[in-house]
Amino acid sequence: MKLFRKLPGYMNAWTLLTMIIVVLILLPNITILISFFTEEAENWAHIQEFILPNLIKNTSLLIIFTGFLAIMIGTSLAWLVSAYDFPFKNFFKWGLILPLAIPPYIAGYTYNGILNYTGVIQKTLRNTWGIEVNQKYFDILNLPGAVFIFTLFLFPYVFMITRGFLQNQSASLVENARLLGRGPLSIFFRVVLPISRGAIVGGGSLVLLEVLNDYGVVQYFGVPTFSTAIFQTWFGMGDLNAAIKLSATLMFIVFFILVLEKFLRGRKKYSYTTTKVRPLKPIKLTKRKAWTAFSYCAIIFALGFLIPFIQLIAWMFLTFEKMMSSTFIELVWNSLFVSLVGAAMITVFAVIIANFARMHQSFISKAPARVTILGYSIPGAVIAVGISTVFIEIDNLLFNFYEMAGLDASLFISTSLFMLISAYVIRFLAVGFNSIEAGFDKVGNKFTEASRMLGLNVTKTFFKVDLLMIKGPLISGFILAFIEIIKELPLTLILRPFNFDTLSTKAYQYASDEQIHEASLASIIIVVVSAIAIYIFHKVLEKEPR
Amino acid sequence: MFIQIENLCFKYQNSSENTIDCFNLAIDQGEIISILGESGSGKSTVLRLLCGLETPTCGTIKINEHTMTDDRHFVLPERRGIGMVFQDYALFPHMTVAENIQFGLKGHGRKAKRERTEEVLELVNMTSLMKRYPHELSGGQQQRVALARALAPKPALLLLDEPFSNLDADLQIKIRGELKDIIKKTGTTSIFVTHDREDARAIADRIITMRDGAAYDWESICTLREEEQQQQPKLVKVKG
Repeated sequence: MKLFRKLPGYMNAWTLLTMIIVVLILLPNITILISFFTEEAENWAHIQEFILPNLIKNTSLLIIFTGFLAIMIGTSLAWLVSAYDFPFKNFFKWGLILPLAIPPYIAGYTYNGILNYTGVIQKTLRNTWGIEVNQKYFDILNLPGAVFIFTLFLFPYVFMITRGFLQNQSASLVENARLLGRGPLSIFFRVVLPISRGAIVGGGSLVLLEVLNDYGVVQYFGVPTFSTAIFQTWFGMGDLNAAIKLSATLMFIVFFILVLEKFLRGRKKYSYTTTKVRPLKPIKLTKRKAWTAFSYCAIIFALGFLIPFIQLIAWMFLTFEKMMSSTFIELVWNSLFVSLVGAAMITVFAVIIANFARMHQSFISKAPARVTILGYSIPGAVIAVGISTVFIEIDNLLFNFYEMAGLDASLFISTSLFMLISAYVIRFLAVGFNSIEAGFDKVGNKFTEASRMLGLNVTKTFFKVDLLMIKGPLISGFILAFIEIIKELPLTLILRPFNFDTLSTKAYQYASDEQIHEASLASIIIVVVSAIAIYIFHKVLEKEPR
Repeated sequence: MFIQIENLCFKYQNSSENTIDCFNLAIDQGEIISILGESGSGKSTVLRLLCGLETPTCGTIKINEHTMTDDRHFVLPERRGIGMVFQDYALFPHMTVAENIQFGLKGHGRKAKRERTEEVLELVNMTSLMKRYPHELSGGQQQRVALARALAPKPALLLLDEPFSNLDADLQIKIRGELKDIIKKTGTTSIFVTHDREDARAIADRIITMRDGAAYDWESICTLREEEQQQQPKLVKVKG
């Protein structure tokens, strides 16, 4: 009986579209999980015995050290910037997010280029002072080197989320602690760390998921992890089933991290929150302390952005004339094309799901939202394996149809751009979704209800009211998705059609062919585009006092 | 009876008890009913059920012999022909006063739209401000626009959810008199929800109180008032 009452509310295009999108996202992932238990792989026994232990060891070490360091650096910087006044503080507020503009794989080969035998440091030491250094101390192509790169270029996730929390939510607690006579260190450890646990855990798990997703750094640094192993078994050994089994294993690790995150956050999902948002009033630091704080921020900023950025610019000038050609223009065009189309699709899908989710308060409407987040947690290599399995299956099903239509390729859509763009949508849907969902949250349901009371149905209301009221979040969701796609490496490397290159794949190829200088032009475009977007976002976010 | 509500029950997803429990109410055409109750007594929920923004777990709602909700039917809110004035007015911030009012007048021709807009604006005495945006209006003005917007499509039933809670006390007294005149002029059957007895008495033809999710009529509220008066000690003026 209750069904009849509820049904009319669900009977519309939004429900249908949402369900279709959810199936599209789940299909590749489910395929992998099912194949893990059903398919046999010839090399699996060998992999399990000789490769898997090493993979797990490397992955755990990377995760533990990167996670710890990123949280230490991110949280301490967030606290400094929110609670104190010192020179250039307002610059560091967004400057310390800039390392996110440099994808770790680009940072990785740039640092190697700076530090190796022919790099600028050793060359200067040799030519100016005639010092020959022990190569041991300058070799970063190892596990600690990878941790160094990941930490420096991923800590902003922790910094950003924690700073946002501290700035708006912590004022009354921190001020109370001050009044109760606590010193700054005691406040940091006894008050700030515990109350921002949720934010720290949230940022930290983003860092870990990025580490698991990475292919470029670990491949270049020679630290075998799941991503590289999936590439190797698939393309090196030609054993897709073994790749699937590896992917499934990696998925289990991801699930473990997600469960751990839930557990660590506990019941206090958003930690301490108040509805009254009151900014924390910063304390002015005295001269010596102010310069210490400044130096700490400056060192991290220099290492995480300035140094690699300047190096890339220098290399770009060396190779600009050689690189600038019609093929390069084509690269830029390819990158723009896939990013624009991908981001547009993500925005549309995200709006559909977000609108569906807020129309109904039930399990059915909450589930799609969780599914989009699942896509973001699954590493690129895994999605690549899953989606190509599904697409090859579809091609097999459609084989007869292709023959009838007179197409000679037996693998039609699994060698097309369509597959790559679908993969982007699955992986980055959450990026667009989060922004749009937050927008809907802010606006609330009142206006929609008012419009429906005035006789407009859900869809009409959406176009005449809702869409106009979330214009801002819509645009920011689009831009965020765009940047993620333009930086993306593992998915693009695996799923791109033959002879189709983007800025990121080309930069990576040059770098792994030891043509670091040639990689700089493509890299610098990615970095500059991302940096501009980060700057705009920071300015927009700062302006909104709400 | 123009409006017939029978055995209405409703439970929010995260609560264990029924928020609305066997709610019965019959209303004549043109009557103004006020539902009085403490916060949390479920009075706003009744409005949301009436207009279809929430789905009841059981019970029926009929308006003018048309079934809105029963075990086999559920009419979507936009098809019910019910007008609502929200507590915070919910005027669309990106539309002018006139655009806000015309929003509910779809299907009318351009000329008919303009005429009806002018008509309702005149009714609430706001014609001079029709080009303004909501944020350029005072609280009382916003309230009148919200009322005009709800009345414009000539709803069979008008719902008002705590319409005075965002106004200061002086304005409240002035506006509630106006409100009653306006509603009576249009002859619209209305239900309005409030926690303020004076509001209820000033406007309503009949007062309903809510307790534990069910409705009680005026007599019981009177005895309630007496009980309360007995319980309350007389105020003694403090000598300076």
